[in-house]
Amino acid sequence: MEDKVMTLKEAIKKFVHNGCSITFGGFCGRNSQAAAYEIVRQGKKDLTFIDDSPTDQLDILIGAGCVKKVEIAWHGVSIFARALNFRRAVERGIPRKIEIEDYSNYAAGLRFLAGAMGVPFLPTKSLLGSDIPKYNKRIKIIRDPYEGKPIALVPAASPDVAIIHVQRADVQGNAQIWGHLANDDNKARAAKHTIITCEEIIPREKILQIPNMTIIPSYCVDAVVHVPYGSHPWSCYGYYYHDVLFQRDYSKYNKTYEGFLKWLDEWVISCDDHVEYCNKVGRERLLELTKMEQMLNKIPI
Amino acid sequence: MNAKEYAKDYTHEELMATIAAKEIKDGERVFVGIGIPMIAGFLAIHMYTPRTTLIFEGGYIGGRPPFTCTDVGDSVLGFKAPYITSLWRTFSDLQRGYFDLAIIGAAQVDKYGNVNSTAIFGNGTYDNPAVRLPGSGGANDIASSAKRILIMVRLEKQRFVPKVDYITSPGYINGPGTREKVGLKGGGPVAIITDKAVFRFNKNTKEMYLSELYPNISIEEIKRTVPWINIAEDVRVVEPPTMEEIEFIRSFDPTDIILRRKRFFENIDFQSWVMLHKLKVEEAI
Repeated sequence: MEDKVMTLKEAIKKFVHNGCSITFGGFCGRNSQAAAYEIVRQGKKDLTFIDDSPTDQLDILIGAGCVKKVEIAWHGVSIFARALNFRRAVERGIPRKIEIEDYSNYAAGLRFLAGAMGVPFLPTKSLLGSDIPKYNKRIKIIRDPYEGKPIALVPAASPDVAIIHVQRADVQGNAQIWGHLANDDNKARAAKHTIITCEEIIPREKILQIPNMTIIPSYCVDAVVHVPYGSHPWSCYGYYYHDVLFQRDYSKYNKTYEGFLKWLDEWVISCDDHVEYCNKVGRERLLELTKMEQMLNKIPI
Repeated sequence: MNAKEYAKDYTHEELMATIAAKEIKDGERVFVGIGIPMIAGFLAIHMYTPRTTLIFEGGYIGGRPPFTCTDVGDSVLGFKAPYITSLWRTFSDLQRGYFDLAIIGAAQVDKYGNVNSTAIFGNGTYDNPAVRLPGSGGANDIASSAKRILIMVRLEKQRFVPKVDYITSPGYINGPGTREKVGLKGGGPVAIITDKAVFRFNKNTKEMYLSELYPNISIEEIKRTVPWINIAEDVRVVEPPTMEEIEFIRSFDPTDIILRRKRFFENIDFQSWVMLHKLKVEEAI
């Protein structure tokens, strides 16, 4: 069996290049937080970020100057604050001006589905009558050829790289996900390269016990990376609960750009890797989040 | 039967939650977001409409969390959830017509119930706006395809405008017949719930009008904030929240993170935060 296991440093170095397009899995939970931190550490530039509703991972990448363009439906950080790096970039060009293509969440979801199906677009009854297509010329409104009524078309998204954080995978990349799936089944299929980061690498035999839970098959996976607590501070169903207090503290720093840079230095740049970040968050704290989650949700086998 | 006991001490946000809860009919499938809409949904299930199903866009459907979530993809929404799926599937079910009611927020709203949550242009443009907002998220999809929409927004002059800078989520667009003409499937907005009053829409003109006032708020006060507003002939005063409603709302938000009645959440330490949530889970198990 092919073994695709590598470190996060190796995976980002190998697949994420300056100027490439990228998407992250999760949706306000099970996010690719560790990957975002590593991209900042490696100083990647000019990324086009394609997603549905990214949260602090994108705000951090924008603040660190890694992003040139976003194709998204929404961007916030957490319940505490707006994405202030995003605002500073759009309104004042700090640290650089970024381009925006606005979609809706369903439109973003359909873009990845189209990419995963290998077709150039998909139709939807969203977007009609709004200003989203007025400012985003890649969305087309046509008369549907069967009934003659207006319908919106959204272009397929096939990012260069998708990074999806999951609960479990085998070394070949069969990835199993519990809890909400967001658009991850399609993001993994649509991307040219897919990196799976996971809470646990499990033996093939365990995958075979519940093959229906393999949401992402190994044939669309290029790398498997073991990253426990890889979506902290976000929740990971069955593994740990949402550390919303960590986000409260991020929002205190992020009020100014200087404050953000201080946060970035403390939590990302001065940590060698995700293990060091987790040590800094505190192992006892992470364990408490795990206990809390397992009172709520347990993975059955 | 005992007379209702009304709460003496409550915030506008709490009142908004009780008003939104009463718009939900039993058995309805209701699409909600984070914050007061989510509190309203669970209040409705707890007190009035136990057969209501709440839908969260990331893919959690029908869960009964023991405490409030702090984001729409929080794993607590999986607690006792009979169905968990993907984002694109959830929105496909919405477009297919399975969902009855939805609640969305707004930075700006206009007389036809069009909502802007993308950008306040100010003296600038879409590319160089005065204020860049988060964007549609699922709101455009919800406003396009849900059967009925509730909009929740603070009543402020700069938020209630004759015409929004950017239509993120369509209401009645330019008036009667426009939704149908552009091909939308859903029914459009039925009410705007603010912190001072409730507005509804005229069946013929599709323009919003003042329908209900909160206790101790005058029509003049509303007119000062929204000079162009239409007024119903029989503006009534809403019922204040009951003690029972307020007790549920506060206990569902044990750390005050949604309601923000006090500054409690700003300084709470990690251990106390964990304890408050664990108690709620133990109650629910």
